[in-house]
Amino acid sequence: MIEHINKQRVRKLLEAHAAGDFDAVLAFCTDDLEHFASAPIDIFPHLGRRHGKAEVRQMWEVARSRYADVRHEIKTMICEGNKVATDLRIFLRKRDNERIVQYDLAAFYTLRDGRISRIREIMDTFDLVQQVLECDLSRLLIAGTARP
Amino acid sequence: MTEHSLWRLSRALHRAINDRQFDALTELLDDDVDWAIYGPIDMFPFLGARLGKDAVLETIRQIADTVHIRRLDRETLMLDDGAAATMVRCAMTTQESDKPITARLAQFMHFRAGKLARLRILIDTFDLVEQTLGRPIDLPRIGSFA
Repeated sequence: MIEHINKQRVRKLLEAHAAGDFDAVLAFCTDDLEHFASAPIDIFPHLGRRHGKAEVRQMWEVARSRYADVRHEIKTMICEGNKVATDLRIFLRKRDNERIVQYDLAAFYTLRDGRISRIREIMDTFDLVQQVLECDLSRLLIAGTARP
Repeated sequence: MTEHSLWRLSRALHRAINDRQFDALTELLDDDVDWAIYGPIDMFPFLGARLGKDAVLETIRQIADTVHIRRLDRETLMLDDGAAATMVRCAMTTQESDKPITARLAQFMHFRAGKLARLRILIDTFDLVEQTLGRPIDLPRIGSFA
């Protein structure tokens, strides 16, 4: 079954990414890989839309320069044909102060000829911003001190 | 070929939110449904985790009181045995002011005997908050950026 094989490919990609082995990760991807993460790019300038292995690698390397001990838990993985969707829990350690960041991430992968050609990510960015800035943004907005 | 449970649930959710017709949805929720839409519950009380049919129906009523769905574009869809994943672009207006809001949702659903047993929805919530406020959030200059 192609679904079983494609799930295995995505699992291997995730394992290599967690290990920081970007050569191995990119070996699972097509040269024209597209990556898009919906996130506020003024706070996460390395996210947004990236095209091609070099740009995607640079994005991952910037993230890895700021975070260590990356790991993930796969909560759900669903596959149909050449498409795989994963519901992940991501764990990171901030290098500057050792604090742990954890968040949920939905990642949708499209495969072409056995390689991943498209990655699309959606996450609870409000919670992620709060963890990165280490502030209770909801409270600040409700109190008016974040000047919405 | 039997219709996948996703389609019946999708129609029932749409009718519940837009028309306040909850009968079909009630039939499609498992008694012990495990439901979570991740996001800031202080700002959107209908987000967060719910357990059980009654709690989920109450949440859907809160959503129906808050927004009206104008358009749903399913950008990605995966159907598996007893499960589904979709990425949907949802155009809504608020009931209070008719303000347009667009959000992209990632949905993961698991079904048991044709009924929704587990649901997880992820949204780019920072963008959702900014759209709801109608202006960018001026972030405090504290902590370290990503």
